[in-house]
Amino acid sequence: MSVIEEAIREFSRLPGVGSRTATRLVHSLLRGTTADARRLARSIDELVERIRPCERCGTFAEEELCRICRDPARRGETVCVVESAFQVHSIDRTGEFRGRFHVLGGHLSPLDGIGPEELRIRELLDRVSRGDEGIREVILATNPSVEGEATAVYLEGVLRPLGVKVTRLARGLPVGSDLEFVDGLTLAEALSGRREM
Amino acid sequence: MLTGLGLVGFRNLEDRELEIPPEGVALVGRNAQGKSNFLEAVYYLEVFRSPRGTRDAHLISFHRDHFRLVGGLAPGGEVSAVTAAVQRGGSPTKKVTVDGREPERLGDAVGHLGAVLFTPGDVRLVSDGPGERRRFLDILLSVNHPGYLEALQRYRQVISHRNAALRSSAGPAAIQAWDALLSRPGGLVSAARAGWVRDVGEAFAEVYRTVADGEAATMEYRPATPGADDITIEGAADPDAWEARLRQALADSLEGDRERGATRPGPHRDDLRLRVLPEGSEEDEGETRDLREYGSGGQQRTAALALRMVEASTRARRLGRPPLLLLDDVFAELDEGRSRRILRLLDETATGQVLLTAPREADIRLRPGELARWTIEAGRIREAS
Ligand SMILES: [Zn+2]
Repeated sequence: MSVIEEAIREFSRLPGVGSRTATRLVHSLLRGTTADARRLARSIDELVERIRPCERCGTFAEEELCRICRDPARRGETVCVVESAFQVHSIDRTGEFRGRFHVLGGHLSPLDGIGPEELRIRELLDRVSRGDEGIREVILATNPSVEGEATAVYLEGVLRPLGVKVTRLARGLPVGSDLEFVDGLTLAEALSGRREM
Repeated sequence: MLTGLGLVGFRNLEDRELEIPPEGVALVGRNAQGKSNFLEAVYYLEVFRSPRGTRDAHLISFHRDHFRLVGGLAPGGEVSAVTAAVQRGGSPTKKVTVDGREPERLGDAVGHLGAVLFTPGDVRLVSDGPGERRRFLDILLSVNHPGYLEALQRYRQVISHRNAALRSSAGPAAIQAWDALLSRPGGLVSAARAGWVRDVGEAFAEVYRTVADGEAATMEYRPATPGADDITIEGAADPDAWEARLRQALADSLEGDRERGATRPGPHRDDLRLRVLPEGSEEDEGETRDLREYGSGGQQRTAALALRMVEASTRARRLGRPPLLLLDDVFAELDEGRSRRILRLLDETATGQVLLTAPREADIRLRPGELARWTIEAGRIREAS
């Protein structure tokens, strides 16, 4: 396979990119300056090399701790639990939430072999019981899907004995949707109207 | 009312655009020519699945890569066209439209024809296991009870997770997390079933008695939710009552369920019990016999027909007009006495549009003078006058 064909194949593996779009992208890179293409290559390289999970909350970080965990202005007593690191950004941009996050890395889904052990639940319980962050409230912001709801019910059960307040995002979120694609206003409303479980 | 039917690539039927007369059609053809396929195509547009339980991909003609069905409905109704198309493939894709738009939920697509289908295969509703009767209730309530289909889909999704959790090494808490999500949709499903059986029980007995010339039969909802015995007749359709019983039953059965690796309580194991009272005995003597085990062929066919008749009256009540009756060779394998009495009942029920099939001209006994005569041979429909 030629170098060009290989590049086209790699591009077409990206979501939403068919072989025609991939061909157009590769041709445009070849037509542009070498510097442009190098910058793109370097950027992809750095993405892979430098992004890692935050050691505390599990979201994307460039250092041991993510930007949010390092921010002295964020209050540690409230933790918002989400399914994926992409949802951290969705909730953060609402500006409604000034606490920290915890990324589970998915939801309970026994049909896919995902039980509590497969999620970062042990890490969450450690954070709460360790006490160094002074966590007093855990907001469960799992997706409003069947699996996200079951995950919230499970978390409520294991968090409650630790003496922490547990709340759930208010309803009103479209059922079956992914938090990542919910508009900011709906998310902000859901956050301010969260309920105790 | 169905005004047109478009057929492309469906089973053995020739591709056609058919105009359906307002009073209906009598389709005559020998066996295995496609009579049942014709009615199946029409009914597919009502529930978007095969009434025979055939998988979508198997409905596509042998040498074709897709089927497409178009139903035209009379002007003045809520909806003027429904379509369904299935494309062959690794996982076949189905597209359903209502007035040109793909509905968000299947529940918004079903039931626009207002049809009820009677087939000789209905005898399995009585002779087969509880699964057949649950399927009957599910399809019937999906088109007649708002919210039923969504509750059922939700219930099935959650119960497969719970069963998978039961078979995994997960602790009790990871199983109970699903219980909280199961009892609400489960309660809705149970309440709808219990309410329907309560409301039509007498009508079922009446139809059976008429066709069986005086013999008595009963229909009874047998919920697989322990502790539901104390739900009263008046409270049978109350979802909260069923939800509470199911939640308790799930909690009680956790240990046993883990041993078996399956959820035991809940509407997924319900039954609809059909029984006859042997002549001369009283109901409270405990002399009733289960039709599934002890019924003769004639008794089982009669009970199946009675189920369809009460389905038709449920449909009529819901629609506020007579349903579209699809009658597939209904008199097959019935003795003359039963046939005559069924005909009388159908004459009263079939006041709307009727599509019926018969092996011979002489077998068209319902409204023979009114219905247009069509013929079918090797999947080819001819609109003879
Ligand atoms: Zn962090």
